[in-house]
Amino acid sequence: MSELVQLSDITKVYQGGVTGALNGVSLTVEEGEFTAVMGPSGSGKSTLLNLIAGLDRPTSGSVAVAGADLGRMGEAALARFRRDHIGFVFQFFHLLPNLTALENVLIPAQLKSTTSAEARGHELLEQLGIGEVADRYPARLSGGQQQRVAIARALINQPTLLLADEPTGALDTRSGDQVMELLMEVHRRGQTILLVTHDAKLATRYAARVISVLDGKIVDDARLETTERAATDVIRVRGEESRR
Amino acid sequence: MSLKYGLLGLLAEEPLHGYEVKNRFEAMLGGTWEVNIGQVYTTLQRLERDGLVRPAGERGDRGKLLYELSDAGRKALDEWLAQPESGPQELREDIYVKLLLAARLANGNLGPLLSRQKRAYLQRLRDLNQLEGRARKDGRIDLARLVRGALLHTEADIKWIDELSEMGISGESE
Amino acid sequence: MTAILVKALADLRRRRIQAAVIFLTVLLAIATGTMALTLMTQTRDPYQAAFQAQKGAHLQVSFHPTTDPQALGNTPSIIGASAAGGPYTATSLQFKSKGETFNVEAIGRANPGGDVEVLNITSGRWARANDEIVLTRSFSELNKVSIGDRIKVINVASTPVLTVVGQVVDIDEGSADLSGQHAWVLPAAVSTITTPGLSYYLMDYRFPSDPTSAQLTVYMDKLRASLPSGSISGSATYLLIRSVFNITNQILTSVLSAFSVFALAATVATVATLVTGIVISAYREIGIMKAVGFTPAGVVGVFALQVIMPALAACLVGIPAGTLLSQPLLANSSHALGLAYVPSYSIPLDLLVLAGGLLVVTIAATLPALRAGLLKPITAITNATAPRGMSGRRLRRLATRIRLPRAIVLGIGDAFARPLRAVLTLVTVLLGVATVVVAIGLPRSFELINNSETGAGKYQVVVSRSDAFPDAEVMQLLNAQPETARVVALDGENIAVQGIADPVNSRVFRGDSSHLSYEIIAGRWFKAPGEVLAPAGFLRDAHLKIGDSFTGSLYGQTLQLRVVGEVYDISNLGHELFMDYATLPANIPNSTPGTYWVTLRPGSDVNAYIQRVAAAQPDLINVQPNNTSIIGPVKIIDSVLLAIAAVLVLIGIGGTFNTLLLNTRERLHDTATLKAVGMSPRQVMVMVAAAAALLALVAGLMAMPLGLFLHRVLNDVISTSTGNDTPPSVYGVFNPFELVLIPLLGVVVAVAAALIPGRWAARTNVVEVLHSE
Repeated sequence: MSELVQLSDITKVYQGGVTGALNGVSLTVEEGEFTAVMGPSGSGKSTLLNLIAGLDRPTSGSVAVAGADLGRMGEAALARFRRDHIGFVFQFFHLLPNLTALENVLIPAQLKSTTSAEARGHELLEQLGIGEVADRYPARLSGGQQQRVAIARALINQPTLLLADEPTGALDTRSGDQVMELLMEVHRRGQTILLVTHDAKLATRYAARVISVLDGKIVDDARLETTERAATDVIRVRGEESRR
Repeated sequence: MSLKYGLLGLLAEEPLHGYEVKNRFEAMLGGTWEVNIGQVYTTLQRLERDGLVRPAGERGDRGKLLYELSDAGRKALDEWLAQPESGPQELREDIYVKLLLAARLANGNLGPLLSRQKRAYLQRLRDLNQLEGRARKDGRIDLARLVRGALLHTEADIKWIDELSEMGISGESE
Repeated sequence: MTAILVKALADLRRRRIQAAVIFLTVLLAIATGTMALTLMTQTRDPYQAAFQAQKGAHLQVSFHPTTDPQALGNTPSIIGASAAGGPYTATSLQFKSKGETFNVEAIGRANPGGDVEVLNITSGRWARANDEIVLTRSFSELNKVSIGDRIKVINVASTPVLTVVGQVVDIDEGSADLSGQHAWVLPAAVSTITTPGLSYYLMDYRFPSDPTSAQLTVYMDKLRASLPSGSISGSATYLLIRSVFNITNQILTSVLSAFSVFALAATVATVATLVTGIVISAYREIGIMKAVGFTPAGVVGVFALQVIMPALAACLVGIPAGTLLSQPLLANSSHALGLAYVPSYSIPLDLLVLAGGLLVVTIAATLPALRAGLLKPITAITNATAPRGMSGRRLRRLATRIRLPRAIVLGIGDAFARPLRAVLTLVTVLLGVATVVVAIGLPRSFELINNSETGAGKYQVVVSRSDAFPDAEVMQLLNAQPETARVVALDGENIAVQGIADPVNSRVFRGDSSHLSYEIIAGRWFKAPGEVLAPAGFLRDAHLKIGDSFTGSLYGQTLQLRVVGEVYDISNLGHELFMDYATLPANIPNSTPGTYWVTLRPGSDVNAYIQRVAAAQPDLINVQPNNTSIIGPVKIIDSVLLAIAAVLVLIGIGGTFNTLLLNTRERLHDTATLKAVGMSPRQVMVMVAAAAALLALVAGLMAMPLGLFLHRVLNDVISTSTGNDTPPSVYGVFNPFELVLIPLLGVVVAVAAALIPGRWAARTNVVEVLHSE
């Protein structure tokens, strides 16, 4: 397995305060992993994603993704990099309201002037269970459907890395579960996924690796086991027989 | 207490033999509580002595009795079900005392302890998640619900750990 | 109320660019409008006032020298005049001053006062000796003759020298650049400067109330009847002079008014766009305002005030500015009338403009702001951004089909996402481009007309002779020169035509005049004696059309004339006849030509030719290169047009810039998303520029026909006011290449205006925008 992401000694400081800053973070992500990054708000977890996607630059340290050193790239090169290698799924979907679902999905491919992306777009929408809404506008879609469109958009260029920042944050439980199941399915087919969430239940359900971030530092990098255990090894219920 | 009322509750559905009650109870709890058949019989006898259950019909062959719920038993059951749990929060796990002690002894450097504990909790969460998934797939609704409760409890514990980490016990004012 | 004001001021401080745009746009529109209105109201017949003050003559008639002065003295009572001046003895005078030769009508008059045609001495004094002469101020200024200059009279062999001692303003004359001028000497001095047989009598008549054209005809008929036939040699009425005088200002005011309306429309569009934009961008804020306790009216008030305050400031600057700017033009008029310039403006008018301007701006601001007022608080807060239309899909499909890059496709689709704003922006650009078309076309048309009047390109040398030098000798001299290709000699006569009050000035051509520069609107040039051309004004007033025959009378002789063509000529407001020399009867006195237009062979040295010919007879002939420069009034109109075009283009650019700014600000979220999924900064700029380009292209294409139409209309207005129809060549002053180029230039300008908002959008900080939800 190759290393897809390498963050080396990353420091990020914002003007006017320490919120969102990172302080000496080093991290590698391997191909095919499903990694969750957890932490309270302001811990820097979203900043990590932004740095990996090239949406932000570290104050010091280096970011390498798929072998490319992001520090050497200008804005235009970063944009191309994002287009070709990164799929981003946001908490609030961020679809373009003036475009149909399909048009939204196709944008990264069209920015690349890829022809025949339309077929793949339809295919993705089908796979995500929303093939029939291809011609609808985002305003007419439910939250769950919108997020699925966003996922399709993130996948259209077959990205090296899928980044998801609180993808279920704006969804009800049921839609959220559906979205996570889809991400899981995508992961099973080999997609490397980096998930940021504050929900430990969510993180541990889908990711086998949980990175905990606190105050701009990685305080834990846990690789969890996935063995099947009997109920009684997991839960013990005790009543109050001792009391009368 | 919950074994006693658990048996009462199961008998409220229909009269059952002692071993049937045991099996059903264990099934309801999805294997998370294994009861001893002797304990079941003892409890049933006590319940009969208190007039909350009574034997139903004749002793069949092998001397196995069918038990059923009496009116007093039903009343007691209903009262118990209706009453909220207003007793103190039971914190049985060692972690609570451990943390307090460590705080005093380790001069506030609880970071490693907290993160080790959190990792353990995370693993527990993962196991619970997987268990819940299997329970739902197998259609075991009772177990799934129970696991859900455990999940949320563990999540709460993790949140406590996080808070402690954030605040930094060493940095707390007295 | 205080809360509304406080909030409005706070918003204004934040929205500085918008405030600046409103200020500038309103300033430009209001200044132009004030200027136009001030000109219109203050110049309404200043001539009339001066005319009354100087007791102008309603009618001036010249008489044959054989007429009995006593009989002339009785004519006022015969025709019913309330006052009269004269009879004055007069003659045509030719003189040389500082090397140049000039022609004026010299009149013998004892003093400048009297009951009619009071002459207003503006500098110097009246003549006291026979060798002193008084000129009109207009003539002196045009030809740079000063008091004390000595001029040499060359139409008499003795070439007496006269000293210029005074300058006057004569209300009964037009300005020197448009019409011939009078000059005055003492009555005794006239004989010394008169070519024998070339003097005449002049009478001024004034009537109890200003007579109409019909009444003047009646007076003329009575006069004619009271004297032996053939006595009257010419006449001029005050109506003609007044019209000529007012033309420049009339044209100016109509041009200014038309474009003030444009500027106002553009301002309204800009203001409406701005307010709509502000409302949209402040959607969430509106909800909060209402939740906090602002009434719907209060919300409307906040937005309206943000616009009204800069507009008010603009009016307070613009109205005085416009009034001030109109003063030089008004001074021009006053000066020409010999009146002391008095700043003339109307405070009530200014206040009216203020009220009107504010009203228009308020309406333009309030209507969009109403939307803000009517918004439900919870809708605004939860929606946070105004819902956007989904139009643009067809445009995108179309653009995709022709395989445009995606950035351009997205930009184009976005251009009409907010239809109202797009339309408003279209309007401002449209007006700007249309104005540019007119501002380019009209001066060209003027130049064409100027050329037709001055013979540009057709003849290079103009020779005029004094009466002391015979016509035959001039022709001999000119024909002797090797470079002479053709000579057309000119004579002027006044032919009386039935139904026309004043005798009609006629241009009589000797020689091959068929290739002169006159614009023939219909029919053809004359080929035979008796054939004439005339401008539309004459044809209309005489009720003639091409092919009609009519009679004219000259020195008592009847001429059989036939209209063969309509020509363009602005002299005498279209009352002019063009004919060949052969049309004149043989025994007309003083009918030898006095002016010669010489066409040289290609490649000739004009200056050498002129020097040689002038050297042959330095005193008695005047040889000049053909002066084809544009007359003063046209220069003024051209400058005004340029200024207006600049104003409207600025407004157009401002409006586009403003719209782009609003659009990019609103699309911030979408732009950040696009950048996040991989749109490069350059693609973002292209997207913004594409929207601007599309709007400009559509507007430009629509503006071309509008501009051309306007050009046509304005030309017609101007032509009609000078008594002409518009020559077809004057309409078609654009070549097809330019018609395509102008809209394209509009696109280029729009794309340039898009650069700044585009860069701004390209620099969007994705992290800040997308994560600040």
